[in-house]
Amino acid sequence: MAFEQVNSKVVRAQVSPATAVLARRGAMLGYDGQVTFRPVAGQGGGVGGFVGAALSGESNPMMATEGTGSVLYGFRGLHVTVIELNGSGSLTCEADRLLAHDANLQTGVEFIGQGGIRAAVRGAMTGQGLFTTKVSGAGAVALLSHGGTYAIPVDGGGVAVDPQAYVGHVGNIQVDLAAKVGWRDAVGRGSGEAFQLKMSGQGTVYIQASEQKF
Amino acid sequence: MVTLTADKRLLHADLAGETIRAATGSMVAYTGNVEFKNAGMGGGGGFKAALKQKVSGESIKLMECSGSGRVTFAQDAMDVTVIDLTGDTLAVESEHILAVSGGLTLDVKFSGLQGMTSGQGLATTTVTGQGQVAIVSDGPLIALAVQQGVPVVVDPDAFVASFGQMSMNLVSGVSWKSLVGEGSGEPFSLRFEGAGTVLVQPAER
Repeated sequence: MAFEQVNSKVVRAQVSPATAVLARRGAMLGYDGQVTFRPVAGQGGGVGGFVGAALSGESNPMMATEGTGSVLYGFRGLHVTVIELNGSGSLTCEADRLLAHDANLQTGVEFIGQGGIRAAVRGAMTGQGLFTTKVSGAGAVALLSHGGTYAIPVDGGGVAVDPQAYVGHVGNIQVDLAAKVGWRDAVGRGSGEAFQLKMSGQGTVYIQASEQKF
Repeated sequence: MVTLTADKRLLHADLAGETIRAATGSMVAYTGNVEFKNAGMGGGGGFKAALKQKVSGESIKLMECSGSGRVTFAQDAMDVTVIDLTGDTLAVESEHILAVSGGLTLDVKFSGLQGMTSGQGLATTTVTGQGQVAIVSDGPLIALAVQQGVPVVVDPDAFVASFGQMSMNLVSGVSWKSLVGEGSGEPFSLRFEGAGTVLVQPAER
């Protein structure tokens, strides 16, 4: 089951007893048929997942859409991108960018980048967080972005992304947060590009044409 | 020669050892080996430029991007337009400049002090030289042709850029009605006379 793109900002999901949909709480715009909405806590994965979500700040209130019918989803006029996962690779994104996904997909909190606690602190400093949500399995995911997403292929190394513009990535990609903070940044004369996410490996990284977070 | 290409709300700059200047913090992604550093006072124009910008309110913060690779810029999901300049001058609102290629010079042009009151300023930033300039707009740009005898009047809040041989005047429609809050909401407008093109955006700042 996939999401059908109504326009650039709204998707329609066909819900049946076999195919439930998990969506961001409050993102339902309208529906027809017999559909119920049930709040679900955390990212799944039991108590461990719940604690992980609370620790990392990657918690996103979700709801399960069950029943039979078609449901429209949208959020704050943000652009929606549907990404199909075929089960071989997983999608990594920030939790608050998840608009909806098939209920049979697994989500979990993942820590990206190396460097242990120092990297985590740096992630908190940039306001981006190196904690991300990993979506795996076969199915469709609807992602939110300000101004639409743009795919950049990663082949080998050498793609760097602004943490604020980063939306998510699929494939076998290593992410490392690189900080180049000099004295110029400290006195407010920096280039504004002190923090960058370095991508290497094989896959696709999605960015948005804006540095606005929501 | 740097090539700037607009891709809807993104701007791609292909660098091969050159330097371009772009709005501070507007890089969203890059490949290759690119260095970013602050262009300095007045967006690289030095102390005099900084002073002029301060006075006119046309401040602009630019960074220098140099190296080789492809840099992608974007700002607030605004539409990007690339304009090629061949020795002529483009007048543009400073906050709409996303990137300028190496051979261009930025300056501030004053055309009267009454612009200060509108908050928008009749002082505009001018871009002169040989090269490319990328401007952002809230929605796709609309080009309005100005001919001799056919002046064009635009809202100062929607004005983005203009080029050609034109004179720009601020027309005030302030009356007692505006003062008591019963105005039409259009107390000021920009009037262009001469020959050239005015670019406006479908949104007001």
